[in-house]
Amino acid sequence: MAMTHLVRWAARAPAPVYAAIGPGRQAEVERLLTRPGLNRAKTPRDAAILLVAGDLPSSSLDALNRLHDQLPRPRTTLRWLDGDQEAIAHRITTALRALCDGAAGEDDRLPDTPANEWKGIGPHGQGGKGMMGGTPYGRPMAMTGKDVRDGLQLDRYTTRVGPFAPMLPPGLVLEVTLQGDVICEASVQAAPFAQPAEADAPALCAARMLRLLGLDAAADRVIRGRPLRAAWVTGAVPRGLARINDTDARDRLSAWLRSRTVTVAPPDLAALLPGSEWSEAMLILASLPPSALIRAARATEAA
Amino acid sequence: MQAVIVILGWTAFAVVLARALQPAANSTAPQAAPFLGGGTPDMHAWQRFHFRPYSMSLLFIAFEMEMMFMYPWAVVFVSEGIKALAEMGMFLAILSVGILYGWREGIFRWQ
Repeated sequence: MAMTHLVRWAARAPAPVYAAIGPGRQAEVERLLTRPGLNRAKTPRDAAILLVAGDLPSSSLDALNRLHDQLPRPRTTLRWLDGDQEAIAHRITTALRALCDGAAGEDDRLPDTPANEWKGIGPHGQGGKGMMGGTPYGRPMAMTGKDVRDGLQLDRYTTRVGPFAPMLPPGLVLEVTLQGDVICEASVQAAPFAQPAEADAPALCAARMLRLLGLDAAADRVIRGRPLRAAWVTGAVPRGLARINDTDARDRLSAWLRSRTVTVAPPDLAALLPGSEWSEAMLILASLPPSALIRAARATEAA
Repeated sequence: MQAVIVILGWTAFAVVLARALQPAANSTAPQAAPFLGGGTPDMHAWQRFHFRPYSMSLLFIAFEMEMMFMYPWAVVFVSEGIKALAEMGMFLAILSVGILYGWREGIFRWQ
């Protein structure tokens, strides 16, 4: 009895959607997910519905499969190919209701085995000797290197983030080497998907930065075209971040909040990101209009 | 006897409640992998990083302990005399090792 009530409530809640955005669909998806009945999930773990917008290139299908399997069961994938927002919003709420009514949802696309086999050596099955080295589950442990800030010997962790990371522009695959949360090296593995000029709209750009600051309600408000009541939020962006053409990240956010378009010369991403903390780096990327970011990433990728 | 029954009953209740509330982590292998927006890691996620306020908190505790013991010491210093002075000297010598260590780690280099 209690369970049926909970399920009925869950069906009426905003549908948690994780969006995998393809070429040319960024602006539409960002506008769609501000609708009252939809909730933009920050991780696949929070989501029940995977929204695949647009035609994804075949190179990102593996990433999509990994993402799909990270959604908890029951889950549904919806493909959104045409531009009608009303129709897709209706499909999403219907899909959520079907899941709450006990639909089985989709199975895993990848095998339920670890990506690498366990190859432990040592008396406790650990990788190597003591706390260093070894390859548990086939993945090497992070080894030390000089810290970029004060030269301490700290572990370097290398990973690729994207193409569907919510804090990065859709399509961008960034290979980063981190020490703690400080980026030591960054390289572009795949440039962001091409987006129409609409993605540079001031409201959308401002909303991306506000979302990174944790102000989702403010971001939704800005996208819906209503004025932001808390104008002081620009103070949350540190001064002097990504200074290009005499504007830093905070200046660009204030310009966007005053509905002014910002144009910047594409910077060298591989030089811009190292040395900054992860949160700063994400603000730096969000403070560049998508068109400039795409050109910058393509230049870095080609180099 | 009554106390034993209450203790056992309460313990059993706590265990049952903990088992009932324990979240089920029945995640599959893809779900157990770190969430990187579709990306893959090169390395195991276990890593060591520098807890930067660590040396600062060491310095704070060194001076705080010093003051904590100096107050009662000042009360008995006159009656105890040279013995109390020697004891405080030893105590400060031990604490100053921590401060010297912090100095080597660069706590006093203010930026």
